[in-house]
Amino acid sequence: MSAPDSLPMPRATPGIRLASCAVDIVEIAALHGRAPELENIAGARGLDLPVLGRVAVASGQLALGVRPARWLLLARPAHSGATAARWQAACGRAGAAVDLSSGLAAWRLAGPQVRDALARACRLDLDPQVFPAGSAAATVMAQVGVILAVLPSGLLLLTPTSTARHLRAWLASTAKPFGLVSEADVTVGVLSGDRAT
Amino acid sequence: MRAPGRIARGLLTDPDRPVGFRFDGRSMQGLAGDTLAAALLANGQRLVARSFKYHRPRGIVTAGPEEPCALVDVIGVSGREPNRLATTLLLHEGLVAESQNRWPSLRFDVLAVNDLMGRFLPAGFYYKTFMAPGWAWERLYEPLIRRAAGLGRLEAIVGDHAAPAETVHDHADVLVVGAGTAGLAAAHRLGTSGLKVMLADQDVVLGGGSLLDARWSAWRESLCAGLAGLATVRCLPRTTVLGAYGHGVFGALETLSPPEAARFDGLRERLRIIRARRVVCATGALERLIAFPGNDLPGVMLAGAAHQYLRRYGVAVGRRPVFFLNSDEAYEAVFALSGAGIECAVVDVRESSLAAERARALGVEVHGGAVVEGAYGRDGVRAVRVVDVTGRARRELAADCLLMSGGYSPATTLASQLGARLTWQEAIAAFTADLAPAIGQMAGAARGVFGLAAAARDGESAARTLAAQLARPVGAADPGVDLPPDADVTPIAALWEVRGPAKAFVDLQNDVTAADVRLSCREGYEHVEHMKRFTTHGMATDQGRIGGLVGSAVLAQARGVPLWQVGQTRPRPFAQPVPFAALAGGEVREHYRPKRRLPLHDWHEAAGATFVSTGLWLRPLVYSPRQGWEAVLNEARAVRRSVGITDVSTLGKIDVQGPDAARFLDFIYASSFATLAVGRARYGIMLREDGMLLDDGTTSRLAPEHFLVTTTTANATATLEHMEFHLQAVWPRLDVLLTDVGDQWAQFAVAGPRSREVVAAVVAGLELSNEAFPFMAASVATIAGVAGRVFRISFSGELAYELAVPARHALAVWSAVLEAGKRFGIAPYGLDALNTLRIEKGHVTAAELNGNTSADDLGMQRMLKKHGDFIGRALSQRPGLTAPERLQLVGVRPLARAHRLRNGLQLVAPEARTTSLGYVTSSTPSVESDGWVGLALVAGGRRRLGQRLIGTSPVHDEAIEIEIVSPHMLDPENLRVRA
Amino acid sequence: MLRIPCPWCGERDETEFRYRGDASKVRPAADAGLAAFTAYVYERDNHCGWHLEWWLHVGGCRRLLKVVRHTLSHEIHAVGGPEDQLSPPPGLTR
Ligand SMILES: [Zn+2]
Repeated sequence: MSAPDSLPMPRATPGIRLASCAVDIVEIAALHGRAPELENIAGARGLDLPVLGRVAVASGQLALGVRPARWLLLARPAHSGATAARWQAACGRAGAAVDLSSGLAAWRLAGPQVRDALARACRLDLDPQVFPAGSAAATVMAQVGVILAVLPSGLLLLTPTSTARHLRAWLASTAKPFGLVSEADVTVGVLSGDRAT
Repeated sequence: MRAPGRIARGLLTDPDRPVGFRFDGRSMQGLAGDTLAAALLANGQRLVARSFKYHRPRGIVTAGPEEPCALVDVIGVSGREPNRLATTLLLHEGLVAESQNRWPSLRFDVLAVNDLMGRFLPAGFYYKTFMAPGWAWERLYEPLIRRAAGLGRLEAIVGDHAAPAETVHDHADVLVVGAGTAGLAAAHRLGTSGLKVMLADQDVVLGGGSLLDARWSAWRESLCAGLAGLATVRCLPRTTVLGAYGHGVFGALETLSPPEAARFDGLRERLRIIRARRVVCATGALERLIAFPGNDLPGVMLAGAAHQYLRRYGVAVGRRPVFFLNSDEAYEAVFALSGAGIECAVVDVRESSLAAERARALGVEVHGGAVVEGAYGRDGVRAVRVVDVTGRARRELAADCLLMSGGYSPATTLASQLGARLTWQEAIAAFTADLAPAIGQMAGAARGVFGLAAAARDGESAARTLAAQLARPVGAADPGVDLPPDADVTPIAALWEVRGPAKAFVDLQNDVTAADVRLSCREGYEHVEHMKRFTTHGMATDQGRIGGLVGSAVLAQARGVPLWQVGQTRPRPFAQPVPFAALAGGEVREHYRPKRRLPLHDWHEAAGATFVSTGLWLRPLVYSPRQGWEAVLNEARAVRRSVGITDVSTLGKIDVQGPDAARFLDFIYASSFATLAVGRARYGIMLREDGMLLDDGTTSRLAPEHFLVTTTTANATATLEHMEFHLQAVWPRLDVLLTDVGDQWAQFAVAGPRSREVVAAVVAGLELSNEAFPFMAASVATIAGVAGRVFRISFSGELAYELAVPARHALAVWSAVLEAGKRFGIAPYGLDALNTLRIEKGHVTAAELNGNTSADDLGMQRMLKKHGDFIGRALSQRPGLTAPERLQLVGVRPLARAHRLRNGLQLVAPEARTTSLGYVTSSTPSVESDGWVGLALVAGGRRRLGQRLIGTSPVHDEAIEIEIVSPHMLDPENLRVRA
Repeated sequence: MLRIPCPWCGERDETEFRYRGDASKVRPAADAGLAAFTAYVYERDNHCGWHLEWWLHVGGCRRLLKVVRHTLSHEIHAVGGPEDQLSPPPGLTR
């Protein structure tokens, strides 16, 4: 078990740093029995689709597997709808690609007390023994859906945009004892640990 | 000034830190580390409460959460909080507490007359005496009983909880409940085996019974240090496990220490929801009371409690205690008090025992083979009458307190909630429980293994069993300190009751006597759970923990059966009173429910919108801060006369793709979609399988295998789940992908005769003429430079378009439309104007799609497909769903233009004003004509067109004449939408 | 609180799921008639014992699960997808 949640850090050192991520998000879903084709299509584009419950990191892009035969792809922002259109064309008749860039907000949470704060709403065990680096999961926090993934640079959190402000306010008040600061936006390159970006 | 009862230095108290507090208006001083009960006893305050039913004087009985009597109100900055236990409430500077259940004062209580009336107030009295007449309950009996009964006082408006609250979700391999020697040993062994362990104990320090025995301090300190060094073990003192909820889920309430509370912004309690693969119930055993006349006098306490007050707080509960006991274990208190120089006398029901011999050797007067026949005194024990078990020799002992111990009952509450069966153990005169191996282990005194060393070894053994089950090598580390040996003991002699003429209580909190239990039996309430309901024995905050088994024993004796046959009542969560605020956790006030905000929320706010909550959404109701219809009608009028724009992003939107998409939609919808051409939209209705309407909306075909379904705002979540369920459960072979794109797309309706010109100005690459883009056309398009979609659909009844763009571009597109519409006087309109427009047109929403309406009721029978299967097809054909007398959708108008309509107005015939024929579902002032218009569901409504009925609202004392009209009050030929 | 082991997501709290009723009921063929559909929609045993039921994992993978749960003890014997044939443990029909 990490630092006890009963002992928040002095407020001078933020326990949690929150940054928004400007990303395009596309969900690709395989038609019956055609997941292997999608894996080949993504592989050809430099992205190894992860197994369920994992996140895969490639240069400047990420893929999360939290639903069977479906993947959420995160990429650098492009002209509206262009990323989704590209994937739709690539998927052909093997599946569908749906733009969710405006449907999900993406945040990165970093700092020593992220897990302690999230334990106030998240019903999943985020202990690194149980939810180690590279893990991804869809769950519910503060009554709204979230998708979590453990990246080298911190915890990625995706949540529906219409309730994002609610979750942000919840996080702000819950994380107060731990110290919460907002950081400048990060890019998908930072998320994927791509220093060139 | 030293308090009179403070005779030694306590394990937990700091003699250099006095703490001032007030009890019933009297200023007193305690020490840091005291509980309120300890400080009251130190100050010689014995009388702390009046009892529940008889208003008898009561004192402190225990030293822990099992306390039945010492419940107080705490008066804090945010008001009065009732039912706090003095025995667990930590003293703090400035604490203000008041006794409960007395009027006007604790010493002089008017309702104590109930005690003298006791023979007329037996158990079950309320049920029987107040049976008839019915009206008397409400007006007479209940107010009377409520004033007389009850525990604490709840203020009319409690206001906000003094402190914030939070819930924490925890996970562990093993939850160890109780940190006595068994729990400590188990946690240590499990922790060294690498298992993730949570060790919870209700006490402020770990150690349980070992805290009372100085020989154990080295062992205890060594284990606590060992646990602190284990990264996988989390120790949670001050944490009561409130209940077991199955599947390894436990609720626990942690009381924060003062410094931690300060760090958490005044947080007082934290609710923990713990998920554990296994549990170790090392919950110890609870000392029992003995039922004898006068066993509720202030000064009658449990023997172990006196021991605890002495060791933990240095407080002597009396100077001349008489012990009344039946086991060697209870002598530990005798030895401790006598060792502190207090002159003790012992009454032991057993003729002789090893412990009695040891006590006599220490100079303690022991009356073997005797029982206490009664305790006497006004407002407190003054004397104790002792009688030989043979009934011959009697004597009276002077005493200032009577310390009783009827033996020890393993704490099986949690185990019972975990489904454990109770087994009677004659050797300890108590029930024990066994947990299924897949759930966990009982350990130590909780399993009937008494003695600190024996319990420690038992905890260790439970841990080994679990480590093996969870496939962990057992850790090698040992505490390195030998266990102090347990003394040999003479077995207990069961003793439950000493019968006499006066009241002998089995339940001090609910004022239940042994005689009440016998009465219950005579009245036929023989089962222990029935007896509980009849007498209230074992209810309320203490759940009868110190007297529960005594009640069962009295019942067994009355029934003439062995005690094991009677059993015990099943204790329910919670293990201690829990403030509602702690249960609510952080999900209060603005966090109570998520608020869904539109992509343009800030724009609407800046434009002066008044918002309304519909479901989880915050929607602009009207762009005006003022009440009243004028602003609404202006917004609606702009649409009818020129052009308006409204945000309809709250609509549910579901992306449907795949080779079987059309087939799937034909199953889901009662309307047909296979025949829908690409680039076209169609209005459809969806039924539940029982044939009633579920939802309606527009579905567009964007490509041969790609549809976009829109749902009503209210039913968006339910409709998606309905589709997902049927796709996976009923038609899993259909190759269809469903994706929720509700938040992805912002959608605006641009409506009004000038809307074509406005939309044309912002849309590129799309010919908008009636021929090229007719009513119900749908297309992708570039809107203000953004890739989006244009639908020619209308909810308002006017020429209208809906523009959809990804939500992150909402502001740019919305602004572009406003700019383009400026020359036509475009204005945004809110939900009220939207409603006005759709009611005039006769379009339905959730008010009409209310779960009780069929397609025929709303005039949509013709939309049901004639051929092919769909959800609800079979049952929608039941004759009852198209019966002519059903409530059918109609329009309504008041005859007098000045009269207003109300939603919910009941419609009656002038000649039968008490028979409802239906009601108004939606209403609005009209912009198209004078006066109000509305929609209504009316029995046989379609046959009544032109009829006059009375619209009545008795609560508003209103009755107006109304006329039934067609629901299509505006443009019934649909010319406008096709313009 | 039930903890339901989702085959896709792992063990999750009941709060993440939506109960969707008796999974032993099979939707009748389109032409099966009113009686068959009435039975499908309305007729349910209030069963003490093992129960086959639907749970939709709305807070996770959004897959529909078939669960064998004991209505008295809440014990979950098996969890699978809609296509899986699940049955109660042998010899324990109550
Ligand atoms: Zn799942």
